[in-house]
Amino acid sequence: MVKGKRKPFEEIKDMVRRHRKVLNVGCGGCVSVCYAGGMKEVNILNEQLRASFKQEDVPFIIDAYTVERQCNQDLLAELDNVAPKYEAMLSMACGAGCQYLAERFPGIPVYPAINTMFIGVDKEIGLFEERCRACGSCVLGLTGGICPVTRCAKSLFNGPCGGTNQTSCEVSKDIPCAWYDIYFRLKEIGQLDNILRVREPMQWKNTTRGVFVQEGYEERFAPKEKGGISKLLDRIH
Amino acid sequence: MDAVSLVEENSIRKMLDQKKNMEFFLSVCVGCGMCADSCFLYVNNNKDPSYMPSYKAVHSLGKMYRKKGRVSRRELEEMKDLIWDKCVLCTRCYCPVGISIPSMISWARSICRSQGVFREYDQTDELSK
Repeated sequence: MVKGKRKPFEEIKDMVRRHRKVLNVGCGGCVSVCYAGGMKEVNILNEQLRASFKQEDVPFIIDAYTVERQCNQDLLAELDNVAPKYEAMLSMACGAGCQYLAERFPGIPVYPAINTMFIGVDKEIGLFEERCRACGSCVLGLTGGICPVTRCAKSLFNGPCGGTNQTSCEVSKDIPCAWYDIYFRLKEIGQLDNILRVREPMQWKNTTRGVFVQEGYEERFAPKEKGGISKLLDRIH
Repeated sequence: MDAVSLVEENSIRKMLDQKKNMEFFLSVCVGCGMCADSCFLYVNNNKDPSYMPSYKAVHSLGKMYRKKGRVSRRELEEMKDLIWDKCVLCTRCYCPVGISIPSMISWARSICRSQGVFREYDQTDELSK
């Protein structure tokens, strides 16, 4: 799931400082699961902002509303009668949700209260670890299920760099070398020949905005006339 | 939150009244079960009927309408399993008569939230006992 972390309190406070009536919008999706932007976290942040502005004797009203997901317009519709009553909104969703919220209410400033960190796993309660950078060219099938993009400091695709030091990365001896792990994993599953297969240069598709059409839906989104939506198609992965 | 503390029935009723279309949706559901196969959770849980989208809507929001908002906190807590744990709101459930099941589950969650009942992901089963 997408993992997020609340921004530093002072940064959030500075963003909303110029407004007197703010709605803090939580998200019941991924950021709830990583305890960053669910209903509970929305209430905590609101209490902190209220107390902090009160100390400065600044009039400030902040209310809370948690929608089930901010990345879905149908679920954002709940806010249609609520949002216009506020000068600004804080979004406690990931970057995608925050943008979708801003898109739905173009006349109201929307500020992010969350830093979207990565796509990751729940290691333990409260501990999350990156596993995927959504690069758009997954090679896990060739690397024994270990991702060289997220695990290698240089995101190398074809073996380790010269800095590998036995089991660790040159960045720090506490960081395991991804390619060392890949080698042993492949050996263990009898696919060591994969390591000799040269991967094509990475296209870094994630440097443009991601749009993709799920298999079976191609016809539905095909351009109706030649060149009709070519600009959009250029970006489709 | 304390499972026996009172809920604000009036505010639940107000929220139910805001979405009269949902009460209508519930009344036209014939229980054909076609929504079931479009739910990946139902398919992946040995077709357990409690994962059927219609079941989840009828036994959460439907129950609130049937009881005219007079539900106890314990009942809301019991709904959590259906509307949070058994539904990820992927919004992919299909209804041949066009009933929007996800919007009903989403509204049931909003009503629960308004009463302080919601899924807390840092609470494991052991901790919440």
